[in-house]
Amino acid sequence: MKIEVQALSARVHRTPLLEDMTFRIEPGELFGLIGPNGSGKSTLMRCLAGLSRPSAGRVLADGADLKRMPARRRARRIAFVEQQADTTDRLTVRNAVELGRTPYLSPLRGWSEIDDAAVSDALKAVEMTAFATRLWHTLSGGERQRVHIARALAQAPELLLLDEPTNHLDIRHQLSLLDLVGRLPITRVIALHDLNQATACDRIGVLRGGRLFATGAPSEVLNETLLAEVFGVAATRHAAPDGAPRLHFSHAL
Amino acid sequence: MTVVAAPLRTAPRRGLLLAPVVLALTILAGTAIGETRLPFITVLQTLANQLWEAGYPVDRIDAGIIWSYRLPRAIVAACCGAGLALTGVVLQALLRNPLADPYLMGLSAGASTGAVLVTVAGVGGGAVSMSLGALGGALLAFGCVVVLAHAVSGGAGGGRATQAAAAIILAGIAGSQMFNALTAFVIARSANAEQARGIMFWLMGNLSGVRWEDVASCSLVSIAGVGLCIWHRRGLDAFSFGADGAASLGINVPALRGSLITATAIMVGVLVSKVGAIGFVGLVVPHAMRFLVGARHDRLVPASALAGAVFLVAADVISRVIVPGQVLPIGVVTALVGAPAFALILVRGARR
Ligand SMILES: Nc1ncnc2c1ncn2[C@@H]1O[C@H](COP(=O)(O)OP(=O)(O)OP(=O)(O)O)[C@@H](O)[C@H]1O
Ligand SMILES: [Mg+2]
Repeated sequence: MKIEVQALSARVHRTPLLEDMTFRIEPGELFGLIGPNGSGKSTLMRCLAGLSRPSAGRVLADGADLKRMPARRRARRIAFVEQQADTTDRLTVRNAVELGRTPYLSPLRGWSEIDDAAVSDALKAVEMTAFATRLWHTLSGGERQRVHIARALAQAPELLLLDEPTNHLDIRHQLSLLDLVGRLPITRVIALHDLNQATACDRIGVLRGGRLFATGAPSEVLNETLLAEVFGVAATRHAAPDGAPRLHFSHAL
Repeated sequence: MTVVAAPLRTAPRRGLLLAPVVLALTILAGTAIGETRLPFITVLQTLANQLWEAGYPVDRIDAGIIWSYRLPRAIVAACCGAGLALTGVVLQALLRNPLADPYLMGLSAGASTGAVLVTVAGVGGGAVSMSLGALGGALLAFGCVVVLAHAVSGGAGGGRATQAAAAIILAGIAGSQMFNALTAFVIARSANAEQARGIMFWLMGNLSGVRWEDVASCSLVSIAGVGLCIWHRRGLDAFSFGADGAASLGINVPALRGSLITATAIMVGVLVSKVGAIGFVGLVVPHAMRFLVGARHDRLVPASALAGAVFLVAADVISRVIVPGQVLPIGVVTALVGAPAFALILVRGARR
């Protein structure tokens, strides 16, 4: 799915959160969003998911204005994993992933084999099959995060929005998640705090104070001057043993 | 995976077939048991006489008690139980608050104010019945709560929908307090002792005035309510992870919330206007059913409606027989059973 963000602004109670953002995300691209705390990553994600209405500008998904797209059709094409979402309901892991099929079901069109297969595949992709019958409140933070991702995968979206999906995950699951996301043949937008993980993206957007500070390939964008200016850290870039660029952060400026 | 999935899917079907049987048996039991206990066979014969003119020899007085008093009373009790429990299910799911119930939304308080204004203060000049006054009061109070909640959350319906849910609970408490104060004010100002006693009785729930005329409206709203909730079962499920979660799953949150909450408000308004304010059913039954059948609404909705119906018919029977020669208000029984049950649920919920 191609995403075009045109002169997007968003505000809450007249406080501007995002200002005049314009960029595009190509079909099939893995687009990273980075920026300090409070720079507007989650707010932008919510606009891309169609959950928040922009106060000005628009978001086009394959040329169609997201604001005018019916919620159900939007949910078949766009899946969103929020930064934090919890429940007190007594749901099993499988129940939670089954929610991802909601946009495909109607009061009269019941559950089918296809839905079962989608749920099982999604559970397998995040390695949570063995947990299928566990209750939600018994899961650890990282396990919950993986179930959320499975739910989003069960939606079979064309655009996957992940807001800090590696939060709570141990290093192996971080790497396997990024690997999984990297191999998905759909458009993906992923907000990340680990800048070394961001180097795996096709392109990244850097946010600062609700504005788009820079966009481009990680190798162009993630340089010492930008890191000092946006994140306020001193960093050096060197090559890892496998030849990929690695950032080393020495101290806060 | 299919091994696990198969029994899960057939269970509600079997329950669905069983539900009408259980409900019919409960209503029959509610008709047979009372201050004078009537044999089941007499109840069945009376029904056969009335429905198919079967011509069984049944004592005229017994037949009158069964057909004119106990049967409509049991049916209305079942409808109220189902309706109140469903309202609890819907409000708890949509507002993401385990304490949400019809009381909290100001519905019961508004209904009593309306009833008191009509019966005691004489609003409407006799042209308006107490039921109509109660219905009007319930909907007015509910409207106030919604408007207040909207004002509190700054009308930010779109994004911060979870915050709006908290606001509506606070608004409900404020609205209930205000309407209860109004009721007390009207009673203190203009009711005589006799009227005050009658009103108190009504406030705790009173099924003794129920006749066949009330059956139609009560069964209509509760059956429609069950149907609507089952129709929207997936939408209710989608609220598990909050209103934003539901929106990203393709649910039109304002539309679903608006229509379901309005529908339940009308349902409770009609029920409360017939039988008075009965507490704890809407709060306790859904929680108890979540323990038994899980949080999925394809099972929770029918299970809660059935359990609510059975619970209220049983509570009505108890209220009639527990003190010989006297009928307790049914709300006393539901609260005496419901409050400890609710405490148990809270403790177990906290411990898990
Ligand atoms: N409802 C709101 N009212 C006022 N300010 C808000 C509201 N929602 C977000 N903000 C502010 O908007 C800014 C951007 O928030 P956002 O959640 O998008 O940041 P973020 O980049 O995702 O940060 P983090 O890295 O901590 O997740 C923050 O300063 C936040 O305080
Ligand atoms: Mg964020």
